[in-house]
Amino acid sequence: MTSTHPTAQTLDIIKLNVRLANGRRLLRDVSLTLKPGEVRALVGESGAGKSMIGKAVLGILPNNLDISEGEIILEGAHLNAMTPSTRRKTVAKMSSLIPQDPLTALNPVRKIGPQITDPLIRIHGWSADRAMKRARDLLDRVHIRAPERVMASYPHELSGGMRQRILIAAAFAPSPRLIVADEPTTALDVTVQKQILKLIRELQRETGTAVLFVTHDMGVVAKISQQVTVLFAGRVMEDAPTQQVFEAPSHPYTQALIKATPTLNAVTKSFSPVPAELIAELHSDIAKIDAAYDAGDRA
Amino acid sequence: MADVLTKPFRRRATPMNLRLWLPLVWIAVVAAAALFAPFIAPHDPLAQDLMLERLPPAFMDGSEPGHWLGTDSLGRDVLSRMIYGARIALFVSLIAATATCIFGSTLGLIAGFYGGWPDRIISRLVDIWMAFPPVLFAVLLVAVMGTGLGSVIAAIALIDWTRFARVIRAETMVQARMDYVDSARIGGARRAATLVSEILPNVLPSIIALLMLEMGIAVIVEAILSFVNLSISSDDPTWGSMIAEGRGSIHFAWWVLLFPLITLFLTVLSFSTLGEGLKQHFDPVHK
Amino acid sequence: MLAKTILIRLLSTAVTLFGVAVVVFTLIRVAPGNPISMMLPPGATQEDIANLNALYGFDKSLPEQFVIWLGGVLHGDFGTSITLRRPVSELVLGRLPATLELSVMALTIAVALGGFVAVIGARKRGTATEVGLDLTSGAVLSIPDFLWGLVFVLLFGVLWPILSISGRIDPRIDFDFTTNFYLIEGVLRGRFDVVGSTLSHMLMPAMSLALPLAAMIAQLLKQNLKEVLVQDYTTLARVRGFSETSVILREALRNAALPTIALIGVQFTFLIGGTVIVERLFAYEGLGNMAIDAVINRDLPLVQGIVLLFAALFTVINLLVDLSYTFLNPRLRNG
Repeated sequence: MTSTHPTAQTLDIIKLNVRLANGRRLLRDVSLTLKPGEVRALVGESGAGKSMIGKAVLGILPNNLDISEGEIILEGAHLNAMTPSTRRKTVAKMSSLIPQDPLTALNPVRKIGPQITDPLIRIHGWSADRAMKRARDLLDRVHIRAPERVMASYPHELSGGMRQRILIAAAFAPSPRLIVADEPTTALDVTVQKQILKLIRELQRETGTAVLFVTHDMGVVAKISQQVTVLFAGRVMEDAPTQQVFEAPSHPYTQALIKATPTLNAVTKSFSPVPAELIAELHSDIAKIDAAYDAGDRA
Repeated sequence: MADVLTKPFRRRATPMNLRLWLPLVWIAVVAAAALFAPFIAPHDPLAQDLMLERLPPAFMDGSEPGHWLGTDSLGRDVLSRMIYGARIALFVSLIAATATCIFGSTLGLIAGFYGGWPDRIISRLVDIWMAFPPVLFAVLLVAVMGTGLGSVIAAIALIDWTRFARVIRAETMVQARMDYVDSARIGGARRAATLVSEILPNVLPSIIALLMLEMGIAVIVEAILSFVNLSISSDDPTWGSMIAEGRGSIHFAWWVLLFPLITLFLTVLSFSTLGEGLKQHFDPVHK
Repeated sequence: MLAKTILIRLLSTAVTLFGVAVVVFTLIRVAPGNPISMMLPPGATQEDIANLNALYGFDKSLPEQFVIWLGGVLHGDFGTSITLRRPVSELVLGRLPATLELSVMALTIAVALGGFVAVIGARKRGTATEVGLDLTSGAVLSIPDFLWGLVFVLLFGVLWPILSISGRIDPRIDFDFTTNFYLIEGVLRGRFDVVGSTLSHMLMPAMSLALPLAAMIAQLLKQNLKEVLVQDYTTLARVRGFSETSVILREALRNAALPTIALIGVQFTFLIGGTVIVERLFAYEGLGNMAIDAVINRDLPLVQGIVLLFAALFTVINLLVDLSYTFLNPRLRNG
């Protein structure tokens, strides 16, 4: 936990750039690290590129995006240097995804059980019995009553909250080193959100899995993470321990984000949107950076 | 469900010009051959010459000058028969497809627009018609009506109207549910007038595409009926009778089958490509 | 719920079949040309004709004839063939296996070929390969089975003669069939010469029938696969380490298949309808070939029997397709 050697990190992203075919950058020199067992929140408004970082790690960005520039090192493995098939297998062995929308993330024509056990058997090489037992145990752990019956059900027979708990169980099932949680509570209603968040935090602590938690909600950030990366327009604005970010945010954008979060300001009931002047200022900064980058690129 | 499925799938947009022009050029060639047959055919299509039977085409050994595509087992010139065959093929496809189109589209529009018992009767008729194997139905009809071009045309219209009726019925039902039809009706338009002025123009692209498709099908049906010897007199030069003749002497004179087959192939392909191309061209949504 | 649906469909099927019976009965009775006179030797007396007419029931009024015929049909008696002088049911059932083997073989080829091309197309989506496959299948589906049959005759019967272009089996093969399912019986009894000869005769007509349907399947299935392959559960499968091909086959195919299954159902009846001319083209001894002979020979009872059998086959297939559609979609099953 205290080692500073790069290979001791679960995830190490170094100067990652994601570009469209026309050269426009969507991620700008993003660097971040994730220590084993750590939860890092990736926070920003929509379009900030926070989901894109998770997708770049997992290798599920659309084909028209170029991610060749920069390094993604997962448990010491340089992902960008690998062939697509090796990369896919490496990522699958070490990481999982908790998706955003539980209603669309389960295959509607397949029963729940195989959807959890399939990857365990076919990718991780487990025996069917072991996979079944693991699935049952984890479903039990995420407070699903009658796991056997649920495993024999189809997704449409279950509620949204139940499906998200199933997806959490499926993500933890292969004991991954890293879990990317892509706004896992956004599609759920508020009461369910709290349970899900609590569940992820508990399981994360029990298993010691590192979590890259993508969210737009500073309130969620406060509840779940130890580290925060604040993003704006594909650029890291602030990278600091969570406590420090809330007590003494160094970047004006972070300050504005905190002010704009209703749940954090519930007591004072005074929250205000991020000021337009600030946004404009940040955009003009980024334009300058891009111009310098393009000039360097051409040289 | 069936209506949606039998509709031709929209294909990837390739250069519209080529998709429309290539088939048009071929159909123009066939049409020109049909119109000017007496002037361009090198021989009388019916003239038999047993001294010149089964001559190979001009590019092969043993061919006879003047018989470019060879002769059949009765010594008749293949090219000339093909040129005259274009007359019958185009005549049948034009008349039969138009008749089928008018008959089937009318029933489809009525069923889709009025619903209720007209729809029930027409839909039941379609069901019954669809339970017949079409070729057997055609053979049966021609047998009942007697051989001849008139019977062939009537048989095509009496069998294939369901193709139009099904598609146009489904599209009319969709159109009839749309707002503009309601507003036209509230505006005092009579129902029948609404059908003609509001709905017909919107289903026209489909009708045109189906009409083109049907012209290709009519050529095939005529060929099939000629093949089973039920079209017109087997001496007459039709592509189908040439194919039947070619099938019979396949091991001695394959060219008697090959050339009409290529012609038929290109003609059918042209009509269906043209229909699909025109549909996209006219369709306001996908233009 | 399901039982009620089936009941309604069965009743509707019965009405349709009754309609078919009426149409075919009426058509044949108004046909010119007396079938009886064709049967008799020259110089037959009026009495002979009257006797035969009475034997086949042609002396009664049309509605009477229809009721008598329909009554017989409901008891499994389809009358006697005029030309072949044997019970229609026996003749028709004797030929049915040949047509069924051909149709099912064609369907199998169409599904395998079309499915394969669809998967390749989905796998290579957005590339020149996909465009090429689209254009090819577009052209293939607009050419009907009859023309494909002729193309195959030229290709594999003449140019590169590796297949047989007429009949159902080599007549020199000495084999005592107990059923008319030549292919199945050959396989079950381990007679590879029988299987080989049957396949050699069946492959070209089956391919002719299969090609247009294969092209339709390739287009529709690929389109639906592409729609499914952007769904979240396929992304999740990729994250879990499954290859793109594996994602297509295991996650996407069943979700994308429902429209294709409906298409196959509708088109399978068209395919069986196509056997009539394709059997004729390849002199394949099936129902369709017999039907054309029966029409040409004015063999009324036989024509009626065959048409009714085809109609029954078509409606039963449509019913089965609707049921399989319900069965394959879990959301409809409990509904």
